[in-house]
Amino acid sequence: MESILARQVKTNMLTFTLRRLNLFIFTMFLLTLLSFGLSFLFPGEQLMNISGQVNATPEQLIILGEQYQTQSNIFQQYFAYVNMLFHGDLGISMASQLSISTEIMSFLPATIELTLVALFIAMLFGIPIGFIAAINHRKVTDNIILSISMIGYSIPVFWLGLLAILVFSIQLGWLPSAGQISLLFEIEHVTGIQFIDILLSNSPYKWQAFQDASAHIFLPACVIALAPATIFVRLARTAMMEVLESQYIRTAKAKGLSFGQIIYNHAIRNAMVHVIRDVGLQFANLVTIAMVTEVIFSWPGIGRWLIESIYQRDHTAIQGGLLALSAFIFIVHIVTDFIYAALNPLARESRHGT
Amino acid sequence: MARDKIYLEEEFPSPLLQLWHNFKETPVVMLGFGCFVFLTILALFSPLITPYASVENHLDFLLLPPAWHNDGNVSFLLGTDNLGRDMLSRLMHGTSLTFGLSFVVVLISLVIGVVIGSFSALTSGIKSSFLNHFLDVILSIPSLLLAIVIVAILGTGLNNTLWAIIMVLIPQFVHITRNAVTEEFRKDYVLASRLDGASSLRILYHSVFPNILEKLISQATLAQSSAILDIAALGFLGLGAQIPMAEWGAMLKNGIDLFYIAPWTVYLPGLAILFAVVATNLVGEGMRHALKVSKEA
Amino acid sequence: MNLLDIRNLSIELKSATNPILAVDRVSLTMKEGEVRGLVGESGSGKSLLAQAIVGVLDDKWQVDADRFHWRGNDLMRLSLDERKAIISKDVAMIFQEPMACLDPTMTIEEQLTEAVDCDQLSGFFWQKNQQRKENAISLLHKVGIKQHKVCLKKYPHQLNEALCQRIMIAMALAKRPILLIADEPTAAMESTNQGQIFRLLASLNQLKNMSILLISHDLENVTHWTNTITVMYSGQFVEAGTTKQIFEQPFHPYTRALIDSSPKANMSLPAKSRLMALPGSIPILQHLPIGCRLGPRCPRAQQECVIAPKVQNYHGHQFSCHFSLKGSY
Repeated sequence: MESILARQVKTNMLTFTLRRLNLFIFTMFLLTLLSFGLSFLFPGEQLMNISGQVNATPEQLIILGEQYQTQSNIFQQYFAYVNMLFHGDLGISMASQLSISTEIMSFLPATIELTLVALFIAMLFGIPIGFIAAINHRKVTDNIILSISMIGYSIPVFWLGLLAILVFSIQLGWLPSAGQISLLFEIEHVTGIQFIDILLSNSPYKWQAFQDASAHIFLPACVIALAPATIFVRLARTAMMEVLESQYIRTAKAKGLSFGQIIYNHAIRNAMVHVIRDVGLQFANLVTIAMVTEVIFSWPGIGRWLIESIYQRDHTAIQGGLLALSAFIFIVHIVTDFIYAALNPLARESRHGT
Repeated sequence: MARDKIYLEEEFPSPLLQLWHNFKETPVVMLGFGCFVFLTILALFSPLITPYASVENHLDFLLLPPAWHNDGNVSFLLGTDNLGRDMLSRLMHGTSLTFGLSFVVVLISLVIGVVIGSFSALTSGIKSSFLNHFLDVILSIPSLLLAIVIVAILGTGLNNTLWAIIMVLIPQFVHITRNAVTEEFRKDYVLASRLDGASSLRILYHSVFPNILEKLISQATLAQSSAILDIAALGFLGLGAQIPMAEWGAMLKNGIDLFYIAPWTVYLPGLAILFAVVATNLVGEGMRHALKVSKEA
Repeated sequence: MNLLDIRNLSIELKSATNPILAVDRVSLTMKEGEVRGLVGESGSGKSLLAQAIVGVLDDKWQVDADRFHWRGNDLMRLSLDERKAIISKDVAMIFQEPMACLDPTMTIEEQLTEAVDCDQLSGFFWQKNQQRKENAISLLHKVGIKQHKVCLKKYPHQLNEALCQRIMIAMALAKRPILLIADEPTAAMESTNQGQIFRLLASLNQLKNMSILLISHDLENVTHWTNTITVMYSGQFVEAGTTKQIFEQPFHPYTRALIDSSPKANMSLPAKSRLMALPGSIPILQHLPIGCRLGPRCPRAQQECVIAPKVQNYHGHQFSCHFSLKGSY
């Protein structure tokens, strides 16, 4: 009897993973299709857009033509493009003539570091405040929290970044306003994630470097985290209110459990399950905000690189950057889906739709 | 003998009137609604109201601080920028650009999105499931990123920005219309109309649309606040409206260089954006709250 | 001595415009070892009454009574929290849709061990955990679930409604209550499973001498399993007495109509004739009639019925009606 049950649980997890994998492949297919199509839509020659070789000699053009199959029909061109992608070749940047994949790999970790820290801050503050608002529903605390979160949600992020720099960097001088770490520290660029690089390097000033990097990341991460935090407040509040109205909480009250026990053992667990699902959806929003913030704070991330490429009309870089960024967002989305399925047994069952 | 009808006649207002009645109840929401109406009037009539033209240079009054400062001048109420343009007039003109255009953008994408969405809801099969997956992928790409890419294709400038934002907002409306229409089509009153012989189009127009109108309006307010922020963000990044247009985001971009000597050129446009977005969000929140309350009652 | 003695309990909905009396002066008594049925249509306030006894109503309801005694203790003088503390030790309640009453993210084992009373355990905490598990298994056996190993590891959505209801009863039994309030326990189940649950309740009543307050809208089921019945209509007290009295000699026109509308009573009607039923429907909270709330529907109503009738007692058979059917028997 038990082995049947265990097998059932395992097959559920397996089918869930397979369905997610299927979705991932389909999405990557669509994204590469989109990025391939962009090379046609951008102004300029298609071959130059897709490869980035602006100053190619005629012989090099012929070789490129072979690589990208420009003579064949469009399906073969697409397959050639995907083939190049699998080999890690995203072309070279039209502006700097450097390989795009190396540029992306050098900038992406900084963005990952910034967005993950911002996500963490947003969740750390947003979710408990949302829970508190729901528990004090229809009282003053609830209204105050809702008003503040509405204002926080409406502030344009670029303005907030500028104000933050003005107040904290210039007037108060507490926190630095640009870059990942002070130039005095010579930390080798190993992974690109500053904190890991500090731990891996053999500089004698590790602790100071760590402090300095934290100071640099604090302001941009907080600026990014504000809008998502307010969204989390609202999501957590709705989830907790729904949970508190549900039948099993009423039963738990009738069972005689104390208020604290109900909240900690039952309500938070169930509400978190609903919230985690939406966290993955909010990550895309967060990355967008991070892009603009990177420009303001001169953070060496992929957002700033992408926007500079747009100023410079570097079409190959835009294609590659878009693909990399969307793939990153989608992978995070799938990871949160997995966490959600692990927490909530109901989600593993087969469902219609995606 | 038992009598049948002894209860008082109760008058039930139509759903839209009920919505308005519930909407009116929260004072904060009415305040937001008032601000929204104020902004709309400003957007429509700004060329007539502004004290000066928004691009007029007053070379004698460069970088004047707002009137309550010691150096300020009452005839330039909110100061001037580095080319001597009056901040107040530029802000008012910017209302019609940032705020007014966002309204137009939302309206256009609403119409297109609803048409595509209902069409997609009516069809079924491989074509529609492909469309659904395609839509889900597009929706997972953040809106600003997509707008930036479209602007990169079309080139910079306010018109291209508008097209980009329209194209970004359409999938949201398609998604919500498709879900709402599919849900309504499962209900029994649509089945009853069908049994009477109504065609799908007629059911859509007469029965389904009045019922999904509320969801569409709530999504439209969300889309408008995001459209205002997107227009301003693209202006700020230099990809949207260019100087000397008085769009708020572009004004902000212009003000960064003057940050230390003339901080009001940064404060004021940002405050204007904040004000507009808060007003839109209040109206949207009030609408959603009124919807929820009227569904419960 | 009565276990539960409630006299003239009223539950009022506090609202800004005009307060609504959802339950209007209802009296209820329960003795030890008694199975009492509380019968009424949906909207008659029986669930509200049960929730008021256990003390799980929202803040928007205000409870007031002339007398609310539990085992001789007067509870009206105490605050809500103290009342809840005293009652929750001896009274347990099970609800209508059992699957929705269980936390979907916890296994049955976790939820059962949570319900086990801490005071009955002794020793260090690992010993307590072991004892909790053993208690949970013995509770499952008490409600007739023999294969406890399989059951404990599952989640609520993997079981069916009858099993979930038995688990709810097991959780209710963990506190060793003296009174079990069952709020429409079988409404969401098929009839075969309904029989199981009722048999379980009856066996609990016989073996442990546990009193049961069985709330239902189905008069047939209730008459089979109960000793005494109280009938409510639209928040008002209608009739109370032993099952035999109510079934064979209903004094109130509403009870009469209830019994007449059951399929058994309609067996002897000629073909193609109308079924016996009261016209109209139960009034909604916004439009409650004054006086006796059955007035607009009652076949025997006259002008005096705008004044709420007082409760009359005839050999233990209580009823509240100006024009009862007592004379016709």
